[in-house]
Parts: sequence; C-alpha cells; structure tokens
Amino acid sequence: MAAVLEIQGLRKTYRARGGPRRALDGFEMYVEAGQVHGFLGPNGSGKTTTLRTLLGLIKPDSGEMRILGQELPRHLPQVVSQVGAIVESPQFFAHFTARDTLALLADAGSLPSERVDWALELVGLRERAKERVKTYSLGMKQRLAVASALLKQPKLLILDEPANGLDPGGIREMRDMMATLSAGGMTVVLSSHILGEIQLICDSVTIISLGRRVAAGPVAEVLQAHSSGQVKVALETPADLSAAAQVLIASGFQPQLNTDHLTLSGVDKPALIARLLAERQLYVSELTPVTADLEDVFLELTGTAPVPGQVRSVDQSVRPELTPQNGGAA
Amino acid sequence: MSLVRAERRRFFKRRLTRWVFPIGLLLLVTIASILFAFHSKPTAEARAKGETAAEAMYQEQVRYYEQYKRECGEKCPEDGWTGPQRSDFRAEDFMPPSFDFKTMYGELFLVWAAIMAMVAFLLGASFVGAEWASGSMMNLLTWQPKRMKVLGTKLGVMLLSVAALSILALGVWTGILWAAGEFRGTTAGLTPGVWESFGLTALRGLGMILAFAALGFGLASVGRHTGLALGAALAVVIVGQVGLTILFQMVRVPFWEQYLVPVHIFAWMNKEVKLVDFSSPETVCDNVGNCNPPELLITWQQSGSIALALVAVVLVLAFWQMRRRDIS
Repeated sequence: MAAVLEIQGLRKTYRARGGPRRALDGFEMYVEAGQVHGFLGPNGSGKTTTLRTLLGLIKPDSGEMRILGQELPRHLPQVVSQVGAIVESPQFFAHFTARDTLALLADAGSLPSERVDWALELVGLRERAKERVKTYSLGMKQRLAVASALLKQPKLLILDEPANGLDPGGIREMRDMMATLSAGGMTVVLSSHILGEIQLICDSVTIISLGRRVAAGPVAEVLQAHSSGQVKVALETPADLSAAAQVLIASGFQPQLNTDHLTLSGVDKPALIARLLAERQLYVSELTPVTADLEDVFLELTGTAPVPGQVRSVDQSVRPELTPQNGGAA
Repeated sequence: MSLVRAERRRFFKRRLTRWVFPIGLLLLVTIASILFAFHSKPTAEARAKGETAAEAMYQEQVRYYEQYKRECGEKCPEDGWTGPQRSDFRAEDFMPPSFDFKTMYGELFLVWAAIMAMVAFLLGASFVGAEWASGSMMNLLTWQPKRMKVLGTKLGVMLLSVAALSILALGVWTGILWAAGEFRGTTAGLTPGVWESFGLTALRGLGMILAFAALGFGLASVGRHTGLALGAALAVVIVGQVGLTILFQMVRVPFWEQYLVPVHIFAWMNKEVKLVDFSSPETVCDNVGNCNPPELLITWQQSGSIALALVAVVLVLAFWQMRRRDIS
C-alpha cells in the first residue's frame, strides 16, 4: 500500500538555556493510505515537533519528509490543500462566531462557503454556529478545531489530541467519525494520550521517545512483539499453589507466586503446564495468556511507568539506540 | 485573492477595529464640533460693535500716548515711533471669532493626521499581534504555508484598510469644518492652488498615518505580540521623549528638539520647522549687522526620510523573522 506520510532521519535541535536540546534525533515514521495511525509518546518526546515540522511551522536540521509523495517542505504549498491539521489546541478569536472562524479559513483556502456548514454539521456544532467562540466549552472548541481541519476534506488528517476536553459521548463520536473518515479513504494520524482509544481506533501506531522511534507497525503486531509470553495459572485449590510452584520449578519453569495464581514467563505450550500439574493431582482451573495492552507496551517502551515513591521528570524516558530499524545507519 | 478577501473580512470584523476607529472618529467629530460651536458668522451688528470697540481702543491708546509725550517732553527718546496707528485696531479683533476655512483647515490637518496615526498604530499592531498571541497565525499557516505571502498580504490589507478608514475620517472632518466655514465664517479664497496645497498636505498626512500603521504592525510581528508594539511606543514616549528632553536640556545639547518625534511630525505636516538655539553663546549675524541665535531648519524631506528608514528597518526585521523563525 502507498505511503501517505514518510519521515526518514528527521532531526531537530532546539537552542535552550541549559544547552542544546534534541527534540528529534533521527526519527522515522510511515503511514499507509487509508489507515488510522496512532502517534504516541510521552510529554516532550517530540510528537508536536514532528507534526509542526511536517506542516512547515518548524524547520528541521536534517531528514526527509514526504506527504502524498511530495517532498517537504519544498512542495508543501502544492500539497497543503490535501492536509488538514490541528496541532495541540488551536486558539480562535474569542469574539468571532464558529461560522465566521471557519468562513475566514474557507476564504483563505479558496473553498466554497457550503463547506463550512458541512464541517459544522459533521462535528455537531451547526446549532451553535452563530454563537461566539468565547461562550464555548473546551470540548466545543475542540470540535471546532476538528471542523477547521476537516474543512479542506483532506486526504491526510493530522489531529493532535483531538479528544482533549471531550466528554465520553464526544470521545465516542470522535472515534466513530475517525472510522467513517477512514472508511471513506481518508488517512488519519492521531496523536493522543488516551491509549485505550488509540488501541480501539487505530490500525497502526508509531511510538516515539526522546525524539526516536521505539516501535511502529500494526497495533496487533506491536502488542504481540512486546507481550512477554506470560500465562496465568490458577488451581481449583488455591492452597496447592506452593506445591504447584515446586512442580513447575522442577520442570525448569520460573513461576511467580501470587495470592491466588501463578504467573509463568516464556511458555510456548500452555498445555504442557496443565499436563505436568495434573500428573501430580493438581488441577488447573484457569490457564490464560497474559496479554499486554497498548498502555503496558507504551509504558515499557518509553520507560515512563510510575514507580512508587519516585517522581519522574518530563524528560526522563527511554532513548533507544539508533538502529537501521528506527533510523540509524545500517 | 482569497487570502486578501479573508484578511479584509477579518480586519473589519475585529472588535478593536469596531471600537478604536469609531472612538478616533468621535474624537475628530467632537473637536470639529467644538470649533463649529465656538465660531460665528460676522453679522453687520457684530461688525458695528467691533468697529466701535476698535475705535474706542484706538482712542484710548492715543490718549495714553499723548499723556506719555507730555510727561517726558523733550526727554522723549527719538525712536521713530509716532504713536498708535488706526490700521492696527481692526474690528475683527473685537468680534466673536469666525472660521476662515482657507486658513484654518490647512492648519488643522495635523489634528486629523495625529489622531488617525494613533488609531492606525493600534490597529496595525493588534491586527498581527493578536494573531500571533492567539495561535491563529499558526493555524493560518497550515492553510497558507507561504509565510512571506501571508505576512505581506496581511500588511497590504491592513494598510489599505487603514487608508480607507483615514480617508473616511478625513471626509467627515472636512465636512464639519466646511460647514463651520459656511455657517460660522467664510469659505472664500479657495483657489485651485489652495485646494492643491490641501491635497498635498492630506497626502503627507495619509503617509504619516500609514507609516504609524506599518510601524505598529512590524513591531508586533517582531515581538509576536501586540504588547511589544505598545511597549515600544510607551518607551519612546517616556524614555525617548520625556527622558531625552530632560537629559539634553541638562547637558545643553544644541538643537535638542530635533530628536523629538513631534518636531518631525510637525515638520512633515507643515513642510518645515525652524529650531532656534537660544542657549547658544554664539550668534549668527547677517550683512546689515542683525545678530540672532543659530537656527536649524528641518524640512519635510528630512523628516520623511528618517521615518521611511525606521519603518523599512522594522518591516525588514519582521519579514526576516517570519522567514527564519520557527513557529511554536
């Protein structure tokens, strides 16, 4: 499938008081056409810098970027009409109405005025379109931002935290809208910290940490690649857990004893566990693989899982080694 | 053209435009109305009263002069003065003032230009400053990534809009002053040459207004906030004008007034300003021995060149920054 968005070896260093800070350090990203692609990373990992660089707002130090096959930033003016974007929470003039706000953008982009009503309808703001933006809640402003990105009916939609401030109903509406847009052929790049949503909506993900890619690919593959192959073993008689652990240690496993179950890692054939225990009259009531969700994978890969008693600083996350797989030299 | 249309709509939809311009216009209307109210048409009765008062004053001065001559007798100095002249006591000086459009309209261009320049500075600064501060500029650049085109269009639209508003204000201002001339004075003597002079002064006034608008726009764009332009203006007024005045007077800098903005505004609008250095120990004497303190003539060309250079530097900096700096 054709790549709608390609980034290779993207580097950007900011000058800061404490010395130069590498926001992007050989970052790579590929998004195929028609996908909903999750773009994840801890705070300060380089997500927004990447999106702003793509949109020509920030000049990279080096690297290659393409959108719809067009080299950026050189051909951005040719391709920008096909890219809708919101970066962080865009602010609007508080005293303009939502309709005015979108109408001005439509004018700037030479779009027909009917497109404004279409976009307002799509995000559920049509009834409130004549009200000033200052009367809007955070969620309504977020809907307006999404409407402004959709106004172009773009081929590539880039949304940075679109669910920010939305109520649960709004989040579900946003999720359904993404699905509809994607089904209609639109490619969506979605940056969000609501990992459950990303797991539900997205076909593929890229995870970034301290300016480098730490994982990428279809969601299922990323989860599979980073699941530990653990299984949970529960017995009919919990009092037998210690005995079961001894049996399994004797067979070469390294079980972890919990209050009501055992956890085993590196199990290729779970049936072997059941057979070994049954031979000693220890009967298994539950034998299930422990599946990692996106949050687990994210926390593991970025090293941002909270540790009791410790306060993690914003920049304290994992910087992966550069490899040919994530943008390093072969 | 679509960006031009969008920017024009945005300019006139802005709350500041809808408040600041009417306030400026109201100020002009108020001043013009006061001028209208405090002048009156010279009636025959008023002229007769004026003639009487002038004659009475003349007679009184003659009496004083004759008394003086009697008192000093032969000791009176031979200064060539032969006493009060009747022609020096005009009826007009003893009549309620009447509005002579030909004389006063030309002098009052400065009022229109100064008020509209303040309005233009505010509108120019906030037009781009608010956009930077609110993040709307970033949003717009995701639609129109050609930064120079975006900033250039904004500047052009703002200048044209300010020019249109200034001409509208000038129309209202002229209308009221013309009415003052018609109904509270005279509109006589308006030859084509006078109108041409008015036109040229109006053009210089418009140039000054646009220069202030561009300066506000450029400063706010460099600082990416309206506050920077307003801060710079405040700094120029307080530090650059009041402070410099005190300092230069203390250290007796010759012709220190040449460093003050109002002097150059005055020179620009009135074609020239002559500064006299009364504190100078030196004098300049002419062929017949008349000696006067040294003078410095500031012409409208000199003031215009300084202003043009300043505006050009600020705008070049604004465009250079727009091209080079990241937008975050």
